[in-house]
Amino acid sequence: MQLFDEIWMDWKDALLGFRRRRVRSVLSGLGIMIGVMALVTMLSIGEGARKEAEDRIATLGINTIRVENAVENPAQQAGSVNLSVGLTLEDAEGLRQWLGKRGIVAFFEREDEVNIYATNREQSGTVIGSTPEWFALEGLTLGAGRSLIDDDTYQYKRNCVIGSDLSSRLHLETSDSIRINSEICTVIGILKPKGSLLTEGTGLSTLDFDSLVIVPTTSFPFPRVLGGKRVLDSIVIALDQASETTTLEIAEQVAEYLLVKHRGVRDYRMVVPIKLLRESQRTQSLFSLVMGSIAGLSLLVGGIAVMNVMLANVSEQTREIGLRMAVGASRRRIVNLYLCHSMVLSLAGGIAGLAGGILLAVLIETFAGWSVAFSMISLLLGPLSALLTGVVFGLHPALDAAAQNPAQALREG
Amino acid sequence: MIILKGTNLSRVFHIAQQEQVALSPVSVNVYRGELLIVTGPSGSGKSTLLNILGGLDRPTTGEVLYRDQSLKALDEPALARLRNITFGFVLQSPHMLPDRTVLENVMLPFQYGSVMPGADQYRRADELLEYVGLAELAERYPNTLSVGELQRVVFARALVRDPEIILADEPTGSLDADNSGRLLALLEDQARRGRTIILVTHDEKAMTIGARHLQIDKYH
Repeated sequence: MQLFDEIWMDWKDALLGFRRRRVRSVLSGLGIMIGVMALVTMLSIGEGARKEAEDRIATLGINTIRVENAVENPAQQAGSVNLSVGLTLEDAEGLRQWLGKRGIVAFFEREDEVNIYATNREQSGTVIGSTPEWFALEGLTLGAGRSLIDDDTYQYKRNCVIGSDLSSRLHLETSDSIRINSEICTVIGILKPKGSLLTEGTGLSTLDFDSLVIVPTTSFPFPRVLGGKRVLDSIVIALDQASETTTLEIAEQVAEYLLVKHRGVRDYRMVVPIKLLRESQRTQSLFSLVMGSIAGLSLLVGGIAVMNVMLANVSEQTREIGLRMAVGASRRRIVNLYLCHSMVLSLAGGIAGLAGGILLAVLIETFAGWSVAFSMISLLLGPLSALLTGVVFGLHPALDAAAQNPAQALREG
Repeated sequence: MIILKGTNLSRVFHIAQQEQVALSPVSVNVYRGELLIVTGPSGSGKSTLLNILGGLDRPTTGEVLYRDQSLKALDEPALARLRNITFGFVLQSPHMLPDRTVLENVMLPFQYGSVMPGADQYRRADELLEYVGLAELAERYPNTLSVGELQRVVFARALVRDPEIILADEPTGSLDADNSGRLLALLEDQARRGRTIILVTHDEKAMTIGARHLQIDKYH
């Protein structure tokens, strides 16, 4: 007889047994259900956190180092004994020279909530003063027109590139003019939608690329000059083909460089995305370990419940076992039968747990605002771990059943 | 021709560190096609002997030869195969799987080793239910049948693999005269057809149908 036929018949038998003792079967599967629920929820939260971290790193750039001005009031700082005004153009130039061909250094100044005027329209946006390198560094692509070029910077041209959202709100096209403060700028390019820089939890200021007006730094309408130095809001360094170790080493050197230049004053905030990613992965591992332990314990308790029910079933079905042996069931077939029984119990719990886990994860996302994601692995791991629990905890009752002496089993019960 | 030969068979159980002799040494030859009646007082070990001869139990001493093949030498799967193909059991209590229909219960032995196509299995089980007069109950569940009907279902199940030997342990023990008569008629019919039958019984009426009697006495 084909092995497949044997397995199929034992599964059918097990399903009949499940139907026969419905309440007991459902109760015995509860523990497994809770375990799988915890497992699926944990994995979906973990997956969500991983994706979120990856998305954030993707927008920040895996091989970048971001430095942001941390001086709340530069004027006050300039008058203090520290003699540091925060990040300056001098820092950016110094870093550019120091880094050489190992990467690109870009920088920008920003002014938020600026009223931008177009014909008959007015919208609020962020004005950025930057250089052409910044476009490439942030991965900004144009939907229309052209980007800023060096000529715009050196010729002090009043050209600008507009974010997609702002351009729609102002109904702008290339060659149109806008007014920022009292300055008139010509729109030379419109960006493709890009979204925001995901800075949540990094300490960096958020930046919505779709609501920007980017002008050459030399035409920036809100320049801040303190102590003869041009104050910047951010310096972004992108390293060329740097390994994780190299990125971290360079980040350390940049920190030292700035600390010396700023006379020991940490008036800037430095963020290394790769470092954030690793920290997030460490936190995630810890979270997974805790949740995994809870899920594991639940599965253990669920497994013990399944074992108890299976032992009770074996004890109640002694005569049936004897009968099966009398008509030709070998011990192996009896083991198979009872393993199928316990697998049906645990799998039912596992499937219920999978559904419960998905529901719980969705509720957590809805009400707690945590991001969750379902991977194929997490959806398979739940029922599979339930099935494995069924096999492990069903083995003892199955071996017990198969160890019966058929003649004695037929007499008992 | 001797089809089943038991030599010096005994069975001792160890219960709570005490020895309990269930069967004192006994030897028996079973000839092909005969209906052997085994009788003896309660506790003499008739059922134990039947279990040992049918490979449901192993003797403490002695050995059983089926067609000169020692059952002792067979491993557990081979012994299970022998029970499936060669022996058909009819026990005093009609053991059934409660969640299977009568027809499915009759077909149970096929689950453990038949290469017969599914349709043929159904046909064979149907024929046997017809033979024992219960064709109309095929789709019913065991709990809706009387003991007499159940015992005939068990008989049909014992025949389903067309075994060489039927081992019947007090099959009429819990039946009324009418049902008992029907079952004995079936056993007689099978004996007439040349099937080997070993019948353990206390039933005086049953004793009349056998050609040869084996009396087991209680020596323990």
